[in-house]
Amino acid sequence: MIRFENVGLRYGTGPEILRDVTFHILPGSFHFLTGPSGAGKTSLLRLLFMSIRPSRGLIFVFGENLSELTQGGRAELRRRIGIVFQDFRLLDHLTTWENVALPLRVMGKRESDYRDDVTDLLNWVGLGDRMHAYPEILSGGEKQRAAIARAVIGRPELLLADEPTGNVDPVIANRLLRLFVELNRLGTSVIIATHDYALMDQLDTPRLVLLDGHLQIR
Amino acid sequence: MTFLTNIRDYPWSGLVSGIVPSRLASYLPARFQAKSTQIVPSASIAGNALTVVIAIMSFLASLTAGAVYMVNQSASAWVSDIASEITIELDPLVDAPDIEKKMTLVSLFLAKQKGITEVKPLTAEDSAKLLEPWLGHNAALAELPIPRLIAVEIDRSNPPDIELIKNALTQNFEGVTLDDHGRWQAEIKTLTRSAALGGLAVLALVFAATIAVIVSATRSAMASNREIIEVLHFVGATERFISREFERHFLGLGVRAGLVGAIAAASAFLAMPYVMNLGSGGITEAEMHRLVGPGRLDLWGYLLCFFVVFVVAGLCMITSRLGVIRVLKAYE
Repeated sequence: MIRFENVGLRYGTGPEILRDVTFHILPGSFHFLTGPSGAGKTSLLRLLFMSIRPSRGLIFVFGENLSELTQGGRAELRRRIGIVFQDFRLLDHLTTWENVALPLRVMGKRESDYRDDVTDLLNWVGLGDRMHAYPEILSGGEKQRAAIARAVIGRPELLLADEPTGNVDPVIANRLLRLFVELNRLGTSVIIATHDYALMDQLDTPRLVLLDGHLQIR
Repeated sequence: MTFLTNIRDYPWSGLVSGIVPSRLASYLPARFQAKSTQIVPSASIAGNALTVVIAIMSFLASLTAGAVYMVNQSASAWVSDIASEITIELDPLVDAPDIEKKMTLVSLFLAKQKGITEVKPLTAEDSAKLLEPWLGHNAALAELPIPRLIAVEIDRSNPPDIELIKNALTQNFEGVTLDDHGRWQAEIKTLTRSAALGGLAVLALVFAATIAVIVSATRSAMASNREIIEVLHFVGATERFISREFERHFLGLGVRAGLVGAIAAASAFLAMPYVMNLGSGGITEAEMHRLVGPGRLDLWGYLLCFFVVFVVAGLCMITSRLGVIRVLKAYE
């Protein structure tokens, strides 16, 4: 599904943040991506999500070599990936329902075709009574769930989440983790970037550990 | 071919909902209505500031375009008027006692010539009146040997042979000369050409300023929408989709603000004849009329004002597209 071969990354003329990163993500797998702050977790997620290019090495996403893809080709692949940002990135002028429906809207689907799906998903993540609310009046946990719902509404093959439990209390964090596990059972590969060891200890899954720019799989 | 396909596939009907203010959009036919909430918010502080800036610049650009057009039109009409007239001058010191008879004979001679549509002999009082602005109205004017004049209107579609008439007059009537206004025409043409070039230069400057201000203001407004572009990009929107959303928004904004400016300028032109008549008259008013004619724009002049709206809206649209491309480039 995803293959990194000797990938290196540096910003501008700065030091190399990621060095010789090589790994393979299989369909239906569940991984935690961890490491100390500043280890390059977010940069690795950005590479996975094709929002930046590596300084060296090769990245294959869904069998496609990213260096050979056009802008349109990358946008097509991005639709097969869902991403949850640490800062949610919900659009304040759209309601929760409209934010969650956004990926389907940009795909050119008709609202009548996805209206029920969006409502069902919002009910599933516990936001059924908040679907007409605007993000600015949602709590941190509600925003996080809305962001997750937006990431999975398009039934992505891969879900990337950057510190998805960083802004919520442990109870909500556990609920969110169960949500990711459930999505994984439905066939979505999941990579969660976190440094919350308590959260990681709840699941017996491989960990991608970043240390000094090098990646180890434990 | 790709360009033509892009034009064909563009959701033109969706643009209408972008142009019409959101409060009125619900009255549009279904096919022109936006399917759901606009992805680019219709109102923001940067957007409101941009609307005001565009409206003001459109007003100035429309006003300049209309004024230049008006001056050019009246200058052309002026040259045309001069070119369709010649003047016959009779020396008052030659055949002085029979000058009235000579006026009649010359007039009859001229009326018989091909290409002449009207012969209008001016009385001695008419000739004296022409000198009144310089010499004033007094009895002494009657004592002066003022040349007698015959105004001749020529058929511009079938003009007479001026040289032939000039020679015939010289041979048949002593002290009679023909002035075809050639020298004055040349001076007027130089003057109007200079006015036209000056007007175009002013127009070019105003347009350059308008473009610079609109591009700059649109860029600022786009900067405040950066997060929207990023989110759309991350949820898998193509550059084309994002560009269309922003183009629709900024085209609508440009048309609405441009229309406000153009309507204000058109209203100023509509009111101009009345404002000109409010003056106390005299030489200033006469000169004003000579410069800008009756102070009215014709249909083409008003269309020119509204053409500015298209230019302004197009600028907003193109700048927003370039803004989207610039933001997305950071992710590619």
